[in-house]
Amino acid sequence: MNKGSILIAFLCLLVSALLAVAAETEQKLLGDESDGSMSPPPHIIPLFAENEAGEKGEQITPDMDFPLPFSTRWTCSDCHNYNLVQKGWHFNSTDSNVPPGRPGEPWIYYDSRLCLQIPLSYREWAGTFRPEQFGLTEFKFTKIFGRHFPGGGPGEANATEVEEIGRQLLSGKLEINCLACHNAHYGQDMGGLSGYAVQVSRENFRWAATASCEFASVTGSATKMPMTYDPFMPDPDQEDAPTVTYHEAAFNKKNEVLFDIVRQMPDERCYYCHSELYQKADEKSEKWTQDEDVHLTAGLKCVDCHRNGVNHNIIRGYEKEADISQNPLAATSSCESCHLPEDESEPAAGRLGAPVPTHPGIPSIHFDKLTCTACHSGPWPAEQTILTKTSRAHRLGTPNVNKAREGLPHIITPVFAGQGQNGAGYKPELLTTENGKIAPYRILWPAYWGILKQDSVEPLELSIIEKVVGDVFADIELSPTGDWPEINKEMIAEAIKKLSEAIEGKSVYIAGGKIYSTDESGQLIEQDNHPAAKPYLWPIGHNVRPAAQALGVRYCTDCHAADAPFFFGNIAIDTPLIDKGDSVKRMVELQDASAFYEWAFAASFVFRPWLKIITIGSCTVIAGVLLLYALRAMACVIKALAGER
Amino acid sequence: MFRTISIIAVIVTLGGIGLNCILRPCKECWRHPLRKLVHLFTMLLIEQKLSPSGVFRKLVYLLALFCFIILAITGFYPTLILDEHISGYLLMIHATFSPILAICLAILAVMWARNCRFNHNDWPWFQRIVERVTLVKRADEEISCKNSTGQKIAFWLIISLALPLILSIVLSMFPYFGTYWQELLLSVHRYTALAFALLVIVHTYLLIRSKM
Repeated sequence: MNKGSILIAFLCLLVSALLAVAAETEQKLLGDESDGSMSPPPHIIPLFAENEAGEKGEQITPDMDFPLPFSTRWTCSDCHNYNLVQKGWHFNSTDSNVPPGRPGEPWIYYDSRLCLQIPLSYREWAGTFRPEQFGLTEFKFTKIFGRHFPGGGPGEANATEVEEIGRQLLSGKLEINCLACHNAHYGQDMGGLSGYAVQVSRENFRWAATASCEFASVTGSATKMPMTYDPFMPDPDQEDAPTVTYHEAAFNKKNEVLFDIVRQMPDERCYYCHSELYQKADEKSEKWTQDEDVHLTAGLKCVDCHRNGVNHNIIRGYEKEADISQNPLAATSSCESCHLPEDESEPAAGRLGAPVPTHPGIPSIHFDKLTCTACHSGPWPAEQTILTKTSRAHRLGTPNVNKAREGLPHIITPVFAGQGQNGAGYKPELLTTENGKIAPYRILWPAYWGILKQDSVEPLELSIIEKVVGDVFADIELSPTGDWPEINKEMIAEAIKKLSEAIEGKSVYIAGGKIYSTDESGQLIEQDNHPAAKPYLWPIGHNVRPAAQALGVRYCTDCHAADAPFFFGNIAIDTPLIDKGDSVKRMVELQDASAFYEWAFAASFVFRPWLKIITIGSCTVIAGVLLLYALRAMACVIKALAGER
Repeated sequence: MFRTISIIAVIVTLGGIGLNCILRPCKECWRHPLRKLVHLFTMLLIEQKLSPSGVFRKLVYLLALFCFIILAITGFYPTLILDEHISGYLLMIHATFSPILAICLAILAVMWARNCRFNHNDWPWFQRIVERVTLVKRADEEISCKNSTGQKIAFWLIISLALPLILSIVLSMFPYFGTYWQELLLSVHRYTALAFALLVIVHTYLLIRSKM
């Protein structure tokens, strides 16, 4: 056999192996393809643990002395292709091949003592930083933020640092927690005292999904265990060892359990990670005073619009998502496609009961300049922006949450800005939705310590900041509300000086839209308008207000008034510095518009009633003249036809 | 679409005017172009012989012409040259001068209408048909009129078009019409503005020709 034949045979083998792997990845199992029945199948199934080799372990029975937590991968994968599910939007953030799409809510690392508030994301969203840039490995990231993501992604990444490899052998990986979304049982515990979030914070990654279900409880903490502890050989004398207890009554004679699994999950499951609390006046900050999204009030569920198939490639629901999404319904699931369908071969209006809006009195140029959400979503704009809290940023729904309104991180809303305002790391080719329309946003003024590299700023690793800045700010007084401590420029200069001694390169501090550095004499220099200091903006999709509460419903002056918040509202500039200089920015500054023009245009609306009166009056006179002479002409004709001269 | 139609319409109108100049040339203009140019300029001035109402009428006409030029530039420049909707400062200028033009048009309609009545001199062929149908001979009195038939037609068309031109945009400012009707009204405004502008050009040309 010559070398060519061997090479060909090898290539054939390689191709067939790759095809086999691909086929396995894409293979649809029993539960992945519907037979068409609208009735959900009951999930009475055995539970399986993962063994030491990371493979399917033994079936869990209630009579085990030291049962292991069940693995969703091995319990659900008999009927559902776990590998396929891993490609879903909620689990694929670490896959660099996935287009990032429209900027979304980042993970925000904050520390009031270190004056940190930095947006992080594995997706290439302009203005965010990858966690590893900030010195967070996937393992650390999972421990901090895993409380509010349903497993998978960084939670299933293999640890690379020596110490973390050992910890991961103990804690396991944070598998996709199917129950986080699909378990409709009222006992699903995500944020309870021993629920999912708490287990994640204890590094009980392997136990987290089990702890969240209604028929098991988990005690102990992996963080308290030595790295040598083997969870597969539990030691009953170790009090703090993670231990799971199953409720015997949940098992039937075949040692199967009943899961209340639903395809259309209840909104409450989504709310665990996607809640928001606007910090208005004290009374209105209460949850019960705020209305839900109008779609939910009308009877829809979150998943009626945010749909996905077995690949869990859920629709985010923004304009032009179809350009990058593989979801076949992406093109028909935005605001426009339900409410204002166009060019359809079949009538598509009114889908899901969506009313077709008439927009009386709204010139159509508004639809070229504004997104639907600009008028219909988020809180009504006010003279001053407000702080808002979100589940993922503020740990809402988990134990011991800071309920103070000033608690970090400071997310400011509603901000009306032109799309594409995000600064650092801006990659326009990745953002297919940047069409310049004005949309409502939440914004975060990043505050972080970094190193200046030419024109860009790289954040310094957390461990360095903790060590250097932590020492400098060790004695500062922290706010009991979790707000920024009171920092002055001298303290910043001191910290920058210490950082410059500790690292190579020019260290800087970014906060409140400014970049702070020191000159050769150690004096603090501040610079405005640096791309790295720009705020991170992500759009408001919900809550959608009803049409009767949309901007412009009363009169044009809802927006076109000389003091209308839509253009002239103040955006708070958030910074830990006491002497921060300008404390506000106006909306118009983020809209690529001229403040004078918007003011002059708004001022012209004062004369709009006069314009109407004058022109209608003129028309009346013209119509009178036309009518008069038309009647006279008719009189002539009548006379002529009557034979008169 | 509108852009194409507009360009064609403007070319046809200007071509028609050019053709008219060739077929019915103003001989004096070719002989004494400078004198005629000065004459043309003096037409913008107020003659001393005019009565107060005549002065007012001329002032209103000149103001209307000025407003028309401003509105035509601000309205057609973004649409025909930039191929975009009117917006920004151009929109503000447009909206500022439009009520002035509306007032001027109303005044001109009142003050010019009588002089622009049609009479038997305008339609001799029509008069003959009427006489043949009714067997009634016309009265012999002559009605003197300063305006040519073309001017009269242009005047009445301008006044007639002013109504949809103004109302189409004013009505869209009231919260009664949805997006479909808004766009329809905008189209009506656009096309009537085009026709209006061309008629004003024709009327002005005929007016100048009659004075030369």
